[in-house]
Amino acid sequence: MNDYQNILEYFNQLPVLVKLVWYVSFLLFIFILGLIFYLKILRNNLRENEKKRIKYQKIYEENLINYLYAGDGIEGISPEQRVFINNMKKDISNTFNRNVLISVMTKLVNDISGEIAQAIHKFYFETGLIDYSLLKLKARKWEIKAAGIHELTQFEVKQAYNEIEKLIKHPHKEVRNQAQLYLVNLFQFKGLKFLNDLTYQLSEWDQIQLLEILQKFDNQEITDITLWLKSNNLSVVKFALKLAKVYNQFESKETLLELLKHNNKEIRVETIKVLGYFYDTDSKEYLKSNFHDITEGEQIAFFKLLENIADQTDQHFIIVNISHPNFEIKLMALKILKNINQPKFNTLKLAENDIDVERIVEFIKNN
Amino acid sequence: MSEKKKIVLAEDNSTLSLLLKFRLQKEGYDIFIAKDGKQAIELIEEHNPELILTDIMMPYISGLEVISHVRNKLEMKVPIIVFSAAGQEEMVLKAFSLGANDFMGKPFSPNELVIRVKRLLS
Repeated sequence: MNDYQNILEYFNQLPVLVKLVWYVSFLLFIFILGLIFYLKILRNNLRENEKKRIKYQKIYEENLINYLYAGDGIEGISPEQRVFINNMKKDISNTFNRNVLISVMTKLVNDISGEIAQAIHKFYFETGLIDYSLLKLKARKWEIKAAGIHELTQFEVKQAYNEIEKLIKHPHKEVRNQAQLYLVNLFQFKGLKFLNDLTYQLSEWDQIQLLEILQKFDNQEITDITLWLKSNNLSVVKFALKLAKVYNQFESKETLLELLKHNNKEIRVETIKVLGYFYDTDSKEYLKSNFHDITEGEQIAFFKLLENIADQTDQHFIIVNISHPNFEIKLMALKILKNINQPKFNTLKLAENDIDVERIVEFIKNN
Repeated sequence: MSEKKKIVLAEDNSTLSLLLKFRLQKEGYDIFIAKDGKQAIELIEEHNPELILTDIMMPYISGLEVISHVRNKLEMKVPIIVFSAAGQEEMVLKAFSLGANDFMGKPFSPNELVIRVKRLLS
């Protein structure tokens, strides 16, 4: 008791600043102690949840597989399967259980095709899981909306088209991305209708994803891409150019030629590349006559195009550009000359004093 | 009484493994499941199976390493079917050059897998 009074007296005699430091230290100590307890409880909860998740995952995996093999081989649902569906309807009213079941089904539906995949889709409808996914589309949080769209894509729910089409202009990128994937996965080229009036930019990654999905499907009806080539949205034009190349949209050639005058340099360069892929000769004359007005990037792209389609009539143009300041153009000009007129190429070395040209000529001769 | 033919299935998707196990057991095979390449090698060495089914992408040891181990270290001629996902064409070519006998691209039909298993084991 005496010790306690001594400490108290000693504390009261301390300067105000030191007292303040003691108060702050005490408060920090309490805060850290609280934080440690909170983290411990949080960690225990996470571990418990993980254990519970593993336990339910095993149960649902076994149940789902028993369900899939309990079918009678015809279109309908066997009595055994009906019992299982009814039990599941009760189970999935709990969000945790529902999420575990969805993850189990998703894991399987990604790797399996044929009758089993169809049976899983049917199970998704029969248990009412579809209603929970549709409900997610109305959620306020963007991550729940995106998850809902993802589920509807996984289980190929075409009925949600109208709801999801509205989300294509959602302010959150992930929701837009999931909506795009839904439309293209389920409706292929028809699903690309959203490009008609898209105001957001399609990222390079979005474009790659969409192309990859489209290429999974054979025998699809390819929509006219002209409208997208003329879009005010640069990313849509870039994507349409990729489509033109991948799906050989030679029918859109007139629009592609117009794109050579586009005010965006990247679009012009990409257009030249696509026309080069088509071995288009009409673009050649236009680009030759405007060669000095276009950027160096376009000039390089044009020479790459010429590598495919140059002929004797281009000889003068090629020779003039052998002395082009850009090394890449110089190299391509010499290679093209060798292809279209070998004797001229062989005598060129004597006529030129440019050291670079001499070296390139030697290189081309030896390779 | 003829002994059941043994198959080692190496696949990290537990639901798919269970589904295939169920299906192949119905056809009369004895299935040993490995959830990664390391376990697959242990099961192969322990059970000396008549067929191996392996995914390409797995934790710890990949399907390619499993094939290489079976062909080069264990010097086994057991048929191997490889599972691959979209975009793993290069890996499939590597698997064939290492000695795989067949491949199935995901998603695949379990019924088709059974047909291929039967063909390789006949």
